Amino acid sequence: MNAVRLPSNALRDPWWLRAPLLLLALAFVALFLVLPLFAVFGYAFEKGLDFYLASLVDEDARAAIRLTLLVTAIAVPANTLFGIAAAWLITRFSFPGRGLLLSLIDLPFAVSPVIAGLIYVLLFGAQGLFAPWLAAHDVKIIFAVPGIVLATIFVTFPFVARELIPLMQAQGSEQEQAAITLGAGGFAMFWRVVLPKIGWGLAYGVILCNARAIGEFGAVSVVSGHIRGLTNTMPLHVEILYNEYQRTAAFAVASLLALLALATLALKQLVGWRMRRATPADGNRP
Amino acid sequence: MSIELSAIEYRYRDATALAGIDLAIESGELLALLGPSGCGKTTLLRTIAGLEFPDRGSVRFEGRDVTALSARKRHVGFVFQHYALFNHLTVFENVAFGLRVRGWFRRPRRAELERAVGELLELVQLGDFVRRYPAQLSGGQRQRVALARALAVEPQILLLDEPFGALDARVRADLRRWLRGLHDRIHVTSVFVTHDQEEAFELADRVAVMNKGRIEQIGDPETLYTHPANPFVCRFLGEVNELPAALHARWTGIDDERVVAFVRPHDIEFSAGEGGARVEQVRDLGANMRVEVRHPALAQPLVAVWERSRFARSGLAPGRSVVVSAQRQVLFRGDEPVDAAERAGNALRDILVTQH
Repeated sequence: MNAVRLPSNALRDPWWLRAPLLLLALAFVALFLVLPLFAVFGYAFEKGLDFYLASLVDEDARAAIRLTLLVTAIAVPANTLFGIAAAWLITRFSFPGRGLLLSLIDLPFAVSPVIAGLIYVLLFGAQGLFAPWLAAHDVKIIFAVPGIVLATIFVTFPFVARELIPLMQAQGSEQEQAAITLGAGGFAMFWRVVLPKIGWGLAYGVILCNARAIGEFGAVSVVSGHIRGLTNTMPLHVEILYNEYQRTAAFAVASLLALLALATLALKQLVGWRMRRATPADGNRP
Repeated sequence: MSIELSAIEYRYRDATALAGIDLAIESGELLALLGPSGCGKTTLLRTIAGLEFPDRGSVRFEGRDVTALSARKRHVGFVFQHYALFNHLTVFENVAFGLRVRGWFRRPRRAELERAVGELLELVQLGDFVRRYPAQLSGGQRQRVALARALAVEPQILLLDEPFGALDARVRADLRRWLRGLHDRIHVTSVFVTHDQEEAFELADRVAVMNKGRIEQIGDPETLYTHPANPFVCRFLGEVNELPAALHARWTGIDDERVVAFVRPHDIEFSAGEGGARVEQVRDLGANMRVEVRHPALAQPLVAVWERSRFARSGLAPGRSVVVSAQRQVLFRGDEPVDAAERAGNALRDILVTQH
């Protein structure tokens, strides 16, 4: 029903135009996407399976994987909650500063992640604005896990909200009003009406948010301090290994990230497909 | 449950949506809010439901002030114009929704819930559709699901926003009669919004005609039609000819006070003769014929609607000269109606022609 509609015959170009365009597109994809992917796995396995596995179970590598999972486990739920709250606020209420909030949500997309990291250093670092207070209370943010979590949250901030806002705007609030007139409280309305409506869109946003949280490099690099076994996430660990001429080990860890990316892609396709199937079932339009 | 609205004012940004509404709705009554789009009728309905809160004035149910109460606590059944059914739930679950979200102790047991929902679906004649989803239903069926869902919480007040607006003409007429029958059985105080005069008249006990955030007139259909309070009401209740006329006082002899005579198309009469008027156009409407007559004293053509058989007997045809008269008319001096006593003491002159 909602499958991609092919353009009509009237818009079809002649073969001599189509063929080169198609080849150009395929060549582009092969050169910039497929080739690097094969290269990652090629280099990762160049010293055999044993070396590959050894690189992954290495003490520092395991610490990096653990830290990445920890950071993701904090950042993704935080941004999911924030995203739902922001989308709700923006689509259901009109208040002064609504437009500003909408642009602020996009800020992490517009700002370079390195700058985002630097801002945290300037605020919480040794010479930063809050440095005296932090020192007095023995709280460490920069060059520690809290800084990495903050930077990741900042960078992955827009994904859920951006996905939900257009969706909730299109759906309107009539079903929510109906739920209220039927006596539903805020929680019942959210759980029984809002969540089923936005479910797939939310899943889509969370997947994207998750992928970015795992792979974030720039902002995390600035605030992490690269302390091995303590503040290295997977992308940072890859960089360190590579800089130390441990190419095969670097690619082994990188292949893990690539696998995660592929899994994310597959999941995203699946959810996108479910979402398109779920949308036309609107019984409120004649 | 009775509803009393007093001095309701509601501003939406710079526009006044409601400009001082006073309205008392009796328990068990079926009332229509009738008016052109943008007259504030839907805002008024939503104010009763607690979906909008007025800037001034108060809403009372059975004497109890509910002005500050949220929609959740008013226990009012509301049927939305586009139904607002829960797409992800079956017909059964849609209707059961209001019972399932009740507090732990007031929530019915499973068997009881199934019985209650089953009864409601029988009431709206959808017993065979329990497992369907809203997208698999026709417009009329969705409308009835929305109604059953609103009735499930046993509201004392039922509010309907343009209940037949999104349906095609045949379904609309059927559903309207069915709804009137339902109201006669369950007697819940009901208010519905419409812009369709025929719908309001057929369905409602009383009709409130609204314009620009005010109620222009409220009364039963007969009163509104025969004694419209002002030209707006008269115009809104159907096509009407506005003819210049004058009052001539029989006793004092004071002459020629200008008034306007409002004459419905089916109250226009023609007789053969040279009255200056000429039949311009005849249109076949099926059951009726619509005759347009050009008169030199009028900018607009005069419209008459006659039954087919009456038209056939009259022998009217385009181009014929006729004398125009009115069977009955309503007179307005400016915005004020000319009352019966005043009418009796005066002779009406010069509404083109002879008078009855």
